[in-house]
Amino acid sequence: MSAFTTAAEFRTAVQAWLDEHDLAPGPDRSLDAQVAQLARVRRALFDADWMRYGWPERVGGLGGPAVLRAVLGEEVATRGLAEPGIYSMVEVLTPTLISYASPDLAAEMVPLLLSGREQWCQGFSEPGSGSDLASLTTRAVPQGDHWVVNGQKVWTSLAQYAARCVLLTRTAPGHDGITAFFVDMDTPGITVRPLRTMHGVDEFAEVFFDDVIVPADRMLGRPGDGWRLAMDLLPHERSTCFWHRVAHLYTRLDRLLDQTEAPDDAALGAAYLALHTVRCRSHATQRRLADGAALGPETSVDKVLLATAEQQLFETVRDLLPGVVELTGSPWRSEYLYARAATIYGGTAEIQRNIIARRLLDLGRD
Amino acid sequence: MDPAEVELLTETLRKTMTTVASGPALDTALLELGWRELLAEYPEVAVPTVFRLLGETGAHASVLTDVVGAVPLPYAGGRWVEWGQGATAPGAGLDEELPLRLLPAGRPVPVAAGRRAVGWWLLGTGRAMLTLARGHALDRVQFGRPLASFQAVRHRLAETLVALEGAEAVLAVAEDGLGSLLAKAAAGQAALTAARHCQQVLGGIGFTAEHPLHRHVRRAVVLDGLLGSARELTREAGALLRAEGAAPRLVQL
Ligand SMILES: Cc1cc2nc3c(=O)[nH]c(=O)nc-3n(C[C@H](O)[C@H](O)[C@H](O)COP(=O)(O)OP(=O)(O)OC[C@H]3O[C@@H](n4cnc5c(N)ncnc54)[C@H](O)[C@@H]3O)c2cc1C
Repeated sequence: MSAFTTAAEFRTAVQAWLDEHDLAPGPDRSLDAQVAQLARVRRALFDADWMRYGWPERVGGLGGPAVLRAVLGEEVATRGLAEPGIYSMVEVLTPTLISYASPDLAAEMVPLLLSGREQWCQGFSEPGSGSDLASLTTRAVPQGDHWVVNGQKVWTSLAQYAARCVLLTRTAPGHDGITAFFVDMDTPGITVRPLRTMHGVDEFAEVFFDDVIVPADRMLGRPGDGWRLAMDLLPHERSTCFWHRVAHLYTRLDRLLDQTEAPDDAALGAAYLALHTVRCRSHATQRRLADGAALGPETSVDKVLLATAEQQLFETVRDLLPGVVELTGSPWRSEYLYARAATIYGGTAEIQRNIIARRLLDLGRD
Repeated sequence: MDPAEVELLTETLRKTMTTVASGPALDTALLELGWRELLAEYPEVAVPTVFRLLGETGAHASVLTDVVGAVPLPYAGGRWVEWGQGATAPGAGLDEELPLRLLPAGRPVPVAAGRRAVGWWLLGTGRAMLTLARGHALDRVQFGRPLASFQAVRHRLAETLVALEGAEAVLAVAEDGLGSLLAKAAAGQAALTAARHCQQVLGGIGFTAEHPLHRHVRRAVVLDGLLGSARELTREAGALLRAEGAAPRLVQL
């Protein structure tokens, strides 16, 4: 069992440890360096046990409530130790393995991720299937005691660094015909081709599957469980991960306050109010999770608030640091551009509003 | 108070607010229900419940003076207003039902609790508008389909819900001065967003005096200015951030 009874106690202990152990990143801001830094931070935090709190013992954790992971991630983000987007990927991938992998597979694999020894990726989107994920066509066909996969994924974050992939495939028609696998990325027939991104940090790639053989015991859940797996994953992304991201955005508002010579109280206040709002909402979501509530479509509200706040913040940055994004080589440029993806990844802004209209406002079909 | 007690209280209050005439009669009815004792003993239940319900039902009572005191209240633009006790004559403001009167001057008063209260009122007003617009979208048919089937309409209503849910989260954790300021700003902004989108979704009918929408729109606009408008409070928050040199993290896990 966890040695900590409150989140505040845990935070104090983590802070004390981080004050003693310097995990600050070096000056290199390349993606290679960011991923190496992420591995270093995870490994150090795992070896010191911090990374193990909030995860069940059967996958190498030390137990305790999920809120401990939110607190740890907040500290990591606040101190700028790791890029929060890639740091938080464990929050999506680990619960998926815990819920859908065989107990042996989860026990073997999860520690490799938590300890920074491996990166994993999430192969959902395809060239023909983005928002309409259920139309995906990458096929898996049974052959003896394994499956053969053919098709293509796209926008797969960190695929070029990943040792494994949580992959959605089609095994039959319809939503019930989607099946998930946990695939080793070094399997023959997998080709990863990195894509250039707009913000200069080439975080995602195309992944091609050409007669890739996947053992049957690497299926996550049963045939047809893939859609449910994808839906189950969203609330994880929108609880702990969001708390991390919000903490990161506060550091950027602080940085803006520090650097601006053209302050505008109305704009600063509006950016702050938007951040405070998503922080309060995320706080309520964490509370509900802690009380045992199953998170569902109401997390689309969190998603809209976060994406809106993030874009508003970086527009304010551009306004109050005139010319910096456009004319200088400062890191603001990449971050400014990256904010534009906030209404695209993880379900677009429009898809979130569709969900809110249908599921929360009960407006029927459109 | 446990959740069942709060629910019972909510239903009693809702019934009172929808059956008793707003103003002095409702003031009396609320006193008889034990409003002042509730406010003294359980302010964290009393304020959100009573003020949100005023908004949702479109009723009004002078309960704000129990929270802030019967004193001149600051209004947007450096103005001062008075909440008329027992006044029955219609006011001259945009929301004629509210007994608000302009005063030449006033003296600074503590406003945090009042901002939370008016914030909950604004939230309830926003919810009332969303309920009206949602109902209309489902009932009204154009081009052979309910309005609710058009994505532009759905997205306006979704946007409204997001604003209201965000404001509610901020109100629910507001404690200190800055937290209450932000809560009032979020609630004012959300109610004005609701007013804009819901008015659009209701089309011509929402512009008639018979339809209840305009009463809520007026109330939202007037309450937004009371104890500081969303715009002013947001600017004040920005000034505070600049003075501190950092953004306060108000809620902790
Ligand atoms: C930085 C980044 C990282 C990503 N990482 C991953 C990853 O690791 N793994 C992965 O699987 N995917 C990843 N994605 C992909 C992401 O999930 C998709 O881009 C997203 O789901 C949208 O799909 P799409 O790009 O095909 O756009 P489309 O679905 O083609 O949408 C284009 C536009 O049309 C709108 N639209 C579509 N359908 C509707 C509708 N029904 N109603 C109204 N508007 C609609 C959309 O909102 C959008 O504005 C990533 C994307 C980005 C930008």
